[in-house]
Amino acid sequence: MRKRLGDYILAFLIIIMLNFFLPRLMPGDAISALYGDALMEMSPQTEAYLLERYGLDKPLGEQFGLYISNLAQGDLGYSYYFRAPVGQVLVGALPWTLSLIAISLLISALAGIIWGVEAAWRRGRKFDRASLVTIMLLNGVPGFVLGILLLLIFGFYMPWFPISGGASPYMDYSGWEQLWDYLQHLFLPALTLTLVQLPRNFMLMRSSLLAVKEKPYIYTARNKGLRDRMVRYRHAARSALAPVITRLGMSIGLLFTSVLFVEIIFAYPGLGNLFYLALQHHDYPTIHGCLLLITVCVLLFNLLADLLNQKIDPRLRELDARQLLERA
Amino acid sequence: MHVNYWNELKKDKFGRKGLYMVAALGIAAVGAGWLAPHDPFAYVAPPLSAPSLTHPLGTNEVGQDICSELLYGARTTLLIGTVAALFSTLFSLLIGLTAGIFRGWVERLLLRLVDVLLVIPVFLLALLVAAYVQPGRLTLIVLFTVLLWPPGSRIIWSQVISLRNQGHVAAARHFGAGTGYLAFRHLVPELYPLLVVNFIQVVRRAVFMEAGMAFIGVFDPAQKSWGIMLHYARDFMFTDAWMWWLLPPALAISFTIIAFALIGYALETALDPRLRRQSYAGNK
Repeated sequence: MRKRLGDYILAFLIIIMLNFFLPRLMPGDAISALYGDALMEMSPQTEAYLLERYGLDKPLGEQFGLYISNLAQGDLGYSYYFRAPVGQVLVGALPWTLSLIAISLLISALAGIIWGVEAAWRRGRKFDRASLVTIMLLNGVPGFVLGILLLLIFGFYMPWFPISGGASPYMDYSGWEQLWDYLQHLFLPALTLTLVQLPRNFMLMRSSLLAVKEKPYIYTARNKGLRDRMVRYRHAARSALAPVITRLGMSIGLLFTSVLFVEIIFAYPGLGNLFYLALQHHDYPTIHGCLLLITVCVLLFNLLADLLNQKIDPRLRELDARQLLERA
Repeated sequence: MHVNYWNELKKDKFGRKGLYMVAALGIAAVGAGWLAPHDPFAYVAPPLSAPSLTHPLGTNEVGQDICSELLYGARTTLLIGTVAALFSTLFSLLIGLTAGIFRGWVERLLLRLVDVLLVIPVFLLALLVAAYVQPGRLTLIVLFTVLLWPPGSRIIWSQVISLRNQGHVAAARHFGAGTGYLAFRHLVPELYPLLVVNFIQVVRRAVFMEAGMAFIGVFDPAQKSWGIMLHYARDFMFTDAWMWWLLPPALAISFTIIAFALIGYALETALDPRLRRQSYAGNK
C-alpha cells in the first residue's frame, strides 16, 4: 500500500512540475507567459509587484522554491479576469462541481445497478438485447454531444428547464423556493452526467450478476420457494455488488473530465465553466489553478477509492491495467 | 493465443458492422478531395445560408461549405486517431517487451513509471499542455502518443511474462536464442492480437480527446475537424442552423466512436475465451 501512496505522490509532483515549467519554457519571459494579455492593461507598479511577489525574474531554482511555498499557502496567483485571487475564485466554484458529481454518481449507480440486474436476470431475452443495444449506442455518444442535445430538447424546444447557470440571478428566493430553483438548474447537467456514466455501471452490474446467477446458492434460494424478486436482489445482486462498488470509486476520476464538458455546455458555475472562461480570456493563473485543483481532486478520489477497495476486497492488491484504463 | 482475429471479426455481428462503418469513414477521409463539393476553406456563399442544392448542409458563420468541412473533418479525425494509436501502441510494445524480457531493475523501474503515469488524468494534462501551444495535427499526435501508451504497456508486459514460461519460448531460450531473436521471432507474433485490440482502443480515445479539446476551444484554427465545427456551431445552436451545422459533426463523432467500439468489442470477445463462452452459450 505504501507503494500505491508513493505512486500518487509522484504523480502529483509530475503535475506540479509541469504546471511550473511549461509556462517558463515558452519563448519570452515568464511574466508574459503567465499573465498574457492582462499585462497590457497592468500598471508598471502592478507588474513590478507581481515580478517581486512571484520572483519571476529570478533564476528558475529560486522561482520554484517560491512557487512551492506559495502553493503550500494556497496562493495560486491573481486572476485578472475575475479580479480576485485565484484561490478565492476556485473555492467559490468547487461546491457546484462537487454537488453535481455527487448527485450524478449516486443516481447513475442506482439506475445502472437496477437496470443491470434486470437485464442480466433476463439474459438473452428481448429486454436484455434491447438494453444492450441502447447502452452501446449511448456509450458512443460523447458527453458534450449528449449535453447539447438535451439542452436543445428540454431547455429550448420544450422549455421545461433553465438553459444556463446554477441559480436564477437577481431573485430574492427564500428557503424552499431557493432549493427548488437550485434543483431546476441542476437537473439537465446532472441528467447528462448520469447518462454519460450509465453504460459503464450497467455493463459492470450485468456481467457481475451473470457470473453469480448460476451459483448453487441461488438455486437453493429459488428452490426453497423464495419470491423471485427476493432471490434477485437479496441473494444475487447483493453478492454481485462488491466489484461494482470497487469500479464505481475508480470512475470518479473519469467524472471530473466529463463534468468539464457538462458545465461548459450548461454554463454551470463550477470548475469546468471557470476553466472555460479563463481559457477564453487567456487568464493563465486561473487556467493553472483550475487544472491543478481538478487533478488534485482526481488523484485524491482515486487514492480514496484504492484504499477503500483494498478494505472491501483484498484480492485487489494488484490492480490490473484494464481497470486503470477505464478511469483515465 | 492463436486466433485468426480477422475471421473472428468478420464472423461477429458487431464486428462486421464496425468494419463497414470504419470503411465508410475511410472512404470519406481519403476521398474528401473528390467528394467535397467545395474547398472547405473557401468563402463560397453568404454566411449562415440554409441548405440548398449547391450547399447540402448550408454554410457556416464565415460562408464556408459545411458539407465539405464535414468530409475534410473525417481526414483530421482518422489521421490523428490512427497515427497516434499506431505510435502509442508501438511504444507500449517497446516498454512492455523491455520490462518483460529484461526483468530485474529495468522491469521494476519501467513498471513503476507506468503505475505513476496511470494515475494521472490524461485529458486534463492534454488541456494543460495545449493551453500554451495551439495544437496542430502533429502536436496532437505527439501529445496523444505520449499520453496514451501506459495502459497498453502494462497489458503487454503481463502477456510477455506469461509467454516467457511457456514451453516453446523456454525451449528456444535454452537452445541459446538471443534476446532480439526471442523477442521478434517468438514473442511479438504472439502479441499481435493484443496489439490490435490496444490500437483500436487508443484510436477511440484519441478521437474523443481531439473532439473534446477542440470543443472546449483548444485547437489550431487553420484546420478543419468535427470538434472545431462543434465549437463554432455552438454559438448558433438556438437558431435552426443546429440541424445542419451542429448535428452532423456530432453524429459523425458518435459514428466514429461507435464504429471503433464495435470492432473493439468483437475483438475482445474473440480473444477472451471466457467472454466467448459467455456470448455463445445458450440462453439460460
